Amino acid sequence: MTLEPQDFWSYSQWLLRPGEDFLQSAMLQGIVLIILAIVLGLIVGYIVSAARYGPGEGFFAVARATRDLVREDLPRMSPRRILALARLAFKEAIRRKVLIVVGFFAVGLLIAGWFLGTSSGDPARLYISFVLTATNYLILFLALFISTFSIPADIKSKTIYTIVTKPVRATELVLGRMLGFIGVGTMMLAPMALLSWVFVTRGLDHRHEVVDAFEAADGTVTGETDRVRNHSHTFTMAAGEDEALTDVVRGHQHVVRRSVGDDGEAKFTVGKAVGSLKARVPSYGEVTFYDRRGERKSLGIDVGDEALTTGYRTGGIARLVGLAEGGKRMVHGYVEGGTLCYAKFVFDNVTPERYDDPDGIPIDLSLRVYRSWKGDIEKGVRGSMVIKHPDRDIRSEPRPFVVDEYKVDTLIIPRTLEVTSDGETSQADLFETLVSDDGRMEVQLRCIDEAQYLGVTRSAVYLRPGEGTFGANLLKAYGSIWLQMVMVIAFGVMFSTRLTGPVAMVATAACVLLGFAAEQIYDTRSYIDSNIERGGGPIEAMVRLVKQDATTTQLDLDSVTTRVIKGVDAGIVYSLDAIATALPNLPKMVGTAEYVASGFDIFGALLARHATATLGYFLIAFLVAYFLLKSREIAA
Amino acid sequence: MNRQSLTRRLVYVGVLLAMLVPLFLLGQPSADGRGGALTTMRDDYDISEADLGELDPSSEAMKLASFGLRGVAATALWGKTRQFEVQHEWDRHRAAVDQLVKLQPHFDRVWEYQAHNLAYNVSREFDDYRQRYRTVRDGTEFLIDGVRRNDKATRLIWYTGWFYGQKIGVSDEKRQFRKLFADDEVAHQQLLDENINVDSPEARGPDGKPDNWLVGRLWSNFGYDLVDSGVAITRQTPVNFFEQGPKWRMRHAEAIEAEGVLDERAIGAWQAADESWKRFGQRSIPTTANFTIKLDQLDDLKAERLAKYAEFEELVGEDYRAAREQALASAGPQSKRLLASDPEDLNSVERELREKSQLQLFPPPTDFVPSAAPGDRLKAVALATEIEDLGDRIQKTDGHRIQINYVYWKTLAQAEKEDRTVTARRKIYDAEAAYKRADLDRAIELYEEGFDLWAQIFEDYPVLTTDETAIDLYESIGRYQVAIDSEDLSDDFPLADFVDIYNETMGQIPPNLYAETLSRQEDLSSDRTEELRREEDRRRRDADLAVEAGETADPSTGGEDESVEGSDSTVSPEDSEDNGEGSPGVEGSDDASVQTEAPNDSAGDAPMFDSGEESSQPEGVGGTDDSGDPVDDAAGVVDEAEGDATDGTDAPVAAAVGEVNVSESPRD
Repeated sequence: MTLEPQDFWSYSQWLLRPGEDFLQSAMLQGIVLIILAIVLGLIVGYIVSAARYGPGEGFFAVARATRDLVREDLPRMSPRRILALARLAFKEAIRRKVLIVVGFFAVGLLIAGWFLGTSSGDPARLYISFVLTATNYLILFLALFISTFSIPADIKSKTIYTIVTKPVRATELVLGRMLGFIGVGTMMLAPMALLSWVFVTRGLDHRHEVVDAFEAADGTVTGETDRVRNHSHTFTMAAGEDEALTDVVRGHQHVVRRSVGDDGEAKFTVGKAVGSLKARVPSYGEVTFYDRRGERKSLGIDVGDEALTTGYRTGGIARLVGLAEGGKRMVHGYVEGGTLCYAKFVFDNVTPERYDDPDGIPIDLSLRVYRSWKGDIEKGVRGSMVIKHPDRDIRSEPRPFVVDEYKVDTLIIPRTLEVTSDGETSQADLFETLVSDDGRMEVQLRCIDEAQYLGVTRSAVYLRPGEGTFGANLLKAYGSIWLQMVMVIAFGVMFSTRLTGPVAMVATAACVLLGFAAEQIYDTRSYIDSNIERGGGPIEAMVRLVKQDATTTQLDLDSVTTRVIKGVDAGIVYSLDAIATALPNLPKMVGTAEYVASGFDIFGALLARHATATLGYFLIAFLVAYFLLKSREIAA
Repeated sequence: MNRQSLTRRLVYVGVLLAMLVPLFLLGQPSADGRGGALTTMRDDYDISEADLGELDPSSEAMKLASFGLRGVAATALWGKTRQFEVQHEWDRHRAAVDQLVKLQPHFDRVWEYQAHNLAYNVSREFDDYRQRYRTVRDGTEFLIDGVRRNDKATRLIWYTGWFYGQKIGVSDEKRQFRKLFADDEVAHQQLLDENINVDSPEARGPDGKPDNWLVGRLWSNFGYDLVDSGVAITRQTPVNFFEQGPKWRMRHAEAIEAEGVLDERAIGAWQAADESWKRFGQRSIPTTANFTIKLDQLDDLKAERLAKYAEFEELVGEDYRAAREQALASAGPQSKRLLASDPEDLNSVERELREKSQLQLFPPPTDFVPSAAPGDRLKAVALATEIEDLGDRIQKTDGHRIQINYVYWKTLAQAEKEDRTVTARRKIYDAEAAYKRADLDRAIELYEEGFDLWAQIFEDYPVLTTDETAIDLYESIGRYQVAIDSEDLSDDFPLADFVDIYNETMGQIPPNLYAETLSRQEDLSSDRTEELRREEDRRRRDADLAVEAGETADPSTGGEDESVEGSDSTVSPEDSEDNGEGSPGVEGSDDASVQTEAPNDSAGDAPMFDSGEESSQPEGVGGTDDSGDPVDDAAGVVDEAEGDATDGTDAPVAAAVGEVNVSESPRD
């Protein structure tokens, strides 16, 4: 899994961007959004009221509504009434047979095996990805559906009068609906999470039998299992041992046990698969590259790997107003073999308490290789790892390794290792010698083979202080889905207070889709700003489609038409950019599934960020929904 | 109001039902040849799901689940596959590809493109060659899935054969890939499941394990069987489709030689390759015209045309003769000179010019039909048409031969199956080994013996000087110069001309020189065949005399005849390369050659000797015994004649095989 720069941010870094550009911070974006929502809400409310009651009375109507909100409807909300309204919304949703979605999900899981490749090298990743993505989209669709049709249906059938004639505040009505639908969604997410867990664990569970075992003269047993699900394992059992682990194939191993059968012959039994469902807790460092002359560089060597043309990320308000560029997608930087070139990783918080394994510190490498010449085909490209004190010239002896591409290669940095200091080599303790007083440690990666290259990103090398459990990690992923559901429900209820059901659904769907398309919009905006031909905005794209022109050529029209089209397109794209920036970053939240699928514990900071954003959007939707409802005659 | 609503609903239902009726009529199932028009058309064109290939419920489910937006879904998936590939997300890439083909299971280009992408592009992204091999295998298995889902897609079958041969056998990692494939029991089992008989000698290499080139050939044969059963070749020229199987035989032989198998097994492999190529030359190949051609019939067609011209001239009489004489009179001095010359005295270019000039002497026959006697005009028209048709056939045949460099491959097989060539290669191979271990005296000795042999070979087969392996020989000469510590080669260096040409052209033979070499190669090959035949006859006579004189014991019991126990004639179903209309192994002049060859093949001690071609011959072939007896004796003769060229038990068989080939040529 390759992470992006903002994935490494802590919660406070995301919220405030301390020491950097506050304009890019989430907090500023949130404040601006809330102010915009209030201002726009007041303006729209005034326009509606003015149209209905005249300019003067309209102003007072808006002022009254604002006063009501602050003085009455917010402070005097009754939890009992909210709960009653929530229960009502809950029952109504159940009456609409929304639970059938769980049935759909179960059926989907039953036939999923048809479409999920059994020959995959990492089936766990496919299975987890599938269940989480399926749940995510189903729940979003469900949230969209139940939240947008409820209030308009009540208004149409006039059942709303039975509610509003009761002493119920608009805030309670909105909040009750939202909470009720959230309750329905939560109730459905629970069995889906359970089904997902069963699907993944059962889907990966398999057994082997030993089909071939050979005992050498020294008592060592080597053996091979049968082929199940397109793979088999081999194992070596040391002399005198009755238990051994197989090799790692498709991300898992089995325990092989030896016993004596009734006939006196050795009998081997193979246990269930272990290690296929991981939740690694990584500790990432800061990476710096050094070129072939040993000089510091911000990026590694580019070996010409193809990169996606898209990938501009949100830079918050700063990017929107053109003060900053969105960060580009992270790519691998390479270090050249046989030169002074290396990649330096500096890790924080390296303490004996955090890394309490007596053997040493586990370090995971997910490196890539680029060969500039064929070399020895049968031998992998070699790298070396040196542990160094970050401030002093004390370093360990280089530890060579052979790069195992597209796999997580776990090495152990031993607690006691051979270090060189002031030209003298001695055995020393890792924490005492190579870790600074403030807990920093440096790891240098080099390529040994001349003219061959090792590729790294910041996320490719990390220390592993611990291991989470898959179940808890899956729960976190479901938490992320729950947060997305809350957002969609909040938006759905907000639109449904003013619009008819289908229109509210389209409006909510448009918000969701714009959120998902945000990156493409940022890209298009960036290309327009930089005068790069990539198909242009919507009108230019349509012209190119009709004329069957490539996206990278100049628009083949006269200059006036071209200028008009590009001008209108720029207006559309800038507007879309503003809207997309204002909307929640749903793709990022859907992306949490990737952590679970790749075997990484979802970062707490990431979930906290998502929760904060959800809360912010929920509040905005709640306030807008309140004003919209107030603006309706029915609630007035 | 309610009544109106009910009426409206009833009208809706009525319209819906009325629309269903034609749908039902069009699509109703076929029974006894009667059914809906759509069903009947599906049956007529063999395009119902079941006719296209294996049914896949998951594919159908996915197509239905796309609610008519299959195209949109497929487009999105194509984008995803590309994105995953760029991101090096290989598992997801494969999963997306698998889903893509479920949406487009009968679009054979999708299978072809994605299989190629896996085997050629994705595989190279892995540093570990074993992982690269697994990805190549993934691509190949993917293609096999495509064949299963599209059992009439001849191009996919051909391409599967191409993958097994070319991808595994030509990559940078070919040595490792070939070994991995030979030991890949999982892949072998999968191939067996697809009825590709990797357990048969047809598929096994000299080490007794499946060989990628031969397995690729079996896939090609599978395609040939399909075409012979009436399925059309699509998206490919027939000549290209049919050349692969025979050519893979040659590539197999080249591969084992490159791996150091330079004994009778290599000869056997080349012999089988030669046979395959000859049969390919006799196969009827469809063309864009309304006739088929046989690549090896060019000379026959030319001779037939000349005969027809003569017949026409005879029929039409004076007018045509006068026109010819006038054409001769108006010919240029060079043409006149060439026409007056004996072809034997001309070089190849001149012979070609002479042939062209000769043709120009024949005015278009259709212009002279009215000159024929009224009673002969009908016949004259028929002859004129035949001459025209023969001209078209000659043109097509020649074009196809040029297109695939037919003569070169034919010569290669003929030259390489000779014991002399294999011996020459072994000498150089051993010399290289000696050079590497710094045994320079031995290396020089072997180099020189090898160069002598190569000089003889190049004399008979000059086209081999343009071969890829000639580059290796040139490099060997370079190492020989290092070994003898001299930058200059002696005046009597046997390969001096070869070195001069290479030095002048930097190894890039100019096209005109190549064409010139190729044009005279066929005559030289014939000469060589004739020479070997005479040699064979001489040996036979000597052997017969020896038998008559009672100098030898009963040959069937004499000597250590490994070949007898090694007989492996159990092989193989009929070789598909030989199937089809051409079936030259059964009919045509090759029969004789095959008949003399088969028993000797079965005398070999290696499985390679028993190619399907040989064992698939008619009964008379196996019964031919005239070369069965003298195997040992002939081998002995050859041994003596060749001195130290042979050693160990390999020699008799090698010699036997070599000699038998002599008598097999259609030119005999």
